[in-house]
Amino acid sequence: MKRRVVITGCSAITPIGHGKKEIVRHLVDGISGVKKLRADDLLSEYIHSGVYGTVSYPIEYAFRRRDRKTMGPVSYYACQVAKEAIEESGLDDAYIRSGRLGVAFGSTHGSPTVQRQIYKSFFSESKSEFSSIGAVDYLKSMVHTTAVNITKMFGITGRVLSSSTACTTSSQSIGFGYEMIKFGIQDAMLCGGADEYDTTTVAVFDSLMACSTAFNDAPHLTPRPFDEQRDGLVVGEGAGALLLEEYESAKKRKANILAEVIGFSCNNNGGDLILPNLDGITETIRLGLKDADVTPDSVDFVSAHATATKMGDIIEAQAIGKVYGTSPVVASLKSYMGHTMGSCGAIETIMTLYMMESGFIAPTLNLNKIDERCKMIHLAVELLESDIRLAAIQNFAFGGVNTCLVLKKFDQ
Amino acid sequence: MKRDEIESQILQIFRDQFEIANPGLDQDLREVYEFDSIDAIELLREIEVLLGAKLTREEKKSAMDIRTINQILDYIESIGASRAAQV
Repeated sequence: MKRRVVITGCSAITPIGHGKKEIVRHLVDGISGVKKLRADDLLSEYIHSGVYGTVSYPIEYAFRRRDRKTMGPVSYYACQVAKEAIEESGLDDAYIRSGRLGVAFGSTHGSPTVQRQIYKSFFSESKSEFSSIGAVDYLKSMVHTTAVNITKMFGITGRVLSSSTACTTSSQSIGFGYEMIKFGIQDAMLCGGADEYDTTTVAVFDSLMACSTAFNDAPHLTPRPFDEQRDGLVVGEGAGALLLEEYESAKKRKANILAEVIGFSCNNNGGDLILPNLDGITETIRLGLKDADVTPDSVDFVSAHATATKMGDIIEAQAIGKVYGTSPVVASLKSYMGHTMGSCGAIETIMTLYMMESGFIAPTLNLNKIDERCKMIHLAVELLESDIRLAAIQNFAFGGVNTCLVLKKFDQ
Repeated sequence: MKRDEIESQILQIFRDQFEIANPGLDQDLREVYEFDSIDAIELLREIEVLLGAKLTREEKKSAMDIRTINQILDYIESIGASRAAQV
């Protein structure tokens, strides 16, 4: 059984806005969402990188107390975008609770804010015999906290997948959700990922000398994917959710179809856990196109993972060049918001949907002078009017995990 | 601590911790306010701070059937009395 899979709802909270209107405005006007790293009285003073892709605007949550009490910050993001994706899809309550809908949602490591509170109680100098871990602290902080807070809030009774593979967390969520529907295991999947503001993640990349440090006084000038002056990634926060649905069912209920997911690949480099691997990601791209049953020259746009690390961008450009040559336009959407970690695959997929729908391709921000070693591909350096018919979204993670999603503009 | 003082502090905890303002003293907290077992465990931690004493596992278990503010006040008074008797 192989069924068509379509997207009928999506929403994102990102450093460049919440919802389609604000996100598109930032992409069209070339406005960055990277800000100065906030002081946290913990790690920020020891970190060399002083920038962060920050959700700096207020979000009004209208969650019931019974739902809120098991939610850390990461689940607030997740449940909000899930709510909005469900609303846009128009799925009714009976369907949502029927078992036909599952959830594939994850984060890099649950809620580090809550985990920090737990550790504080272990190491508290007050020695208070009453300071202990709260009854719900684990539920707020566990790795699958986003997925199950979503199921709880909406009464979803289908399968739960909770990928936690760092930067491929939410691209895996979408891909595995797509496969669930394609192969008839679920009729619909709510897919995505989220990550909250967290300096420990910055510290990890900072200690590996992978973070940007040269633009601490001008945060909007970094990250600079594919640019000669790039000096590393910028950690960010956010969330993205997509409602994937079996095509015939969506058509029958006259749902507004945003796009079709036609391909997904996921493989591993089978070696080093950090270094980018040309053979590994070249194969990921090839497998994605094979699954979609499309040729490289039919792809109009590639959303590159491109975090702005020295080697990562070069290896990715080489892989794109090997498979596609110069035919698709390539951009790094991380240039607008930094690397939103577990949510980046979902957010970049949603941004690609918005560009597909609005007829443009956003250029890579801060790409003033292309690195000679990345010149073998067609990088967007200015805003392009473009009718994206086919798009590929690439994401790669620590651990050597690679994904490629292929989307098609919807037609009957 | 007198019962009305305990009541005042418990109502404050319900306001601050559980967003439940002025519940009726005999209202079923579970039915009316969705106050569930997780909330009860959180409340027991607050009661420990209020009493300045750790509750035993048996004492905690015995609190799990409590449904109303009046029952909570009875529980705290009874714990307080048994601790005083032990001194």
